[in-house]
Amino acid sequence: MRIAGRETRPWLHGAVSVLAGFVMLWAMTSFPVLNYRLVDMLNMALYYPETPFMQLRGIIKYSSNWVLERASLQEKVSQLELKNRAMSEALQKAGVKVPDTKDSVVTARVTLRYPEAWWQEMRIDKGSDDGITEGAAVMSEGFLIGRISRLGAKYSWVELITSSSFFIAAAIDETRDLGVINGDDRGNLRLLYIPQDRNIKRGMRVSTSLMSDLVPPGIPIGTIIGFDEPKEGFMPMRIQAGAHLTQLYAVEVFSAKRSKK
Amino acid sequence: MSIAAAIWLVQDFMQVFSMGICIVPDLFLFSVLLLALKPGSGTGRQSALIWAAFAGGLLWDLRWTNLPGLTAAINGAAVAAACHIWHKVPAQARTVTLFVIISGCAHLLSGIIHFCFWTIPSQAAIRQLAVQQLLAVPVLVVVSLVFWRLSDKHA
Repeated sequence: MRIAGRETRPWLHGAVSVLAGFVMLWAMTSFPVLNYRLVDMLNMALYYPETPFMQLRGIIKYSSNWVLERASLQEKVSQLELKNRAMSEALQKAGVKVPDTKDSVVTARVTLRYPEAWWQEMRIDKGSDDGITEGAAVMSEGFLIGRISRLGAKYSWVELITSSSFFIAAAIDETRDLGVINGDDRGNLRLLYIPQDRNIKRGMRVSTSLMSDLVPPGIPIGTIIGFDEPKEGFMPMRIQAGAHLTQLYAVEVFSAKRSKK
Repeated sequence: MSIAAAIWLVQDFMQVFSMGICIVPDLFLFSVLLLALKPGSGTGRQSALIWAAFAGGLLWDLRWTNLPGLTAAINGAAVAAACHIWHKVPAQARTVTLFVIISGCAHLLSGIIHFCFWTIPSQAAIRQLAVQQLLAVPVLVVVSLVFWRLSDKHA
């Protein structure tokens, strides 16, 4: 390459490229919207060429786990059927009419999870075209793992429950105490704002509380495994997530079918 | 340049296929180093390849990391440093062995710098880094063979 008629040395190009790289890094971290726009543009451009490899990976992955998963799912379905029957009987005896469910879930595959933001976000291969909406609850194996944070036509980004910017109302199943679930970007979960004097024990389960029609109440989150130092009258609690957050390959996104007025 | 672009795509497809299992070796960096250090590459071509490495790194960052510019800077620096060392050693010393050392070190350093920014659990991260470096060995063997053939032809 020539600059002002002189052949420039490679090391000079190297130095300029390093500088350009850091300027780019600064610009992208300072203006996340620009970063998201560029990331989405590139991902859209690569969507079709990458699809066969994504499908092939899915086929190999699922065929290898199919037998094991099938047995465990069948067992789960039978347990749920029994539970459902018992609850229906109890409701019938109490004279409560069970309304038909209008909601559904969309199954999606994980297409990207940055090692640098492992506990913060990931991308899935379903978007607004599939009925997904921003803020919708995302689950794995029946447990809450996050919420839709950004949406494209054919993809969406999930903010994981372990992200420090994730806050969601949650209740302890056994006592109905209400608190807020929050992550720390390092894989840990905490239940905050539960008064110190409450009789909470290890092993109690935590699930979502009524928040919006995009995050229904009662989705299990995890189990209480310990307590931190009390602060300002509240006892922060350590929660073990119910889902395997390090092994997320496929997820379910809650899709609320809102009734038309 | 079109070879480097094709290899970038191959690396991307391989990463899509092995996502969640391992991080694939940096085929693109190896191929740019091969193109820059092969006999007959002048400084003009090497400078152009530094920017090709930068562009490929930036695209990789936008696709697979959330630090856009980091891989670009690493790639640019690695190719420039490799070319600088290549010019500094006498022509007789520009052998396949030196090419292997330069490429291997560039790949290892690139992997370690990325490793420092990962937030995945440390044991899993070390395992990922080790697997990536081990997978790079056969790639380096193939790239070295290509370099050897090109050097032979040129001689």
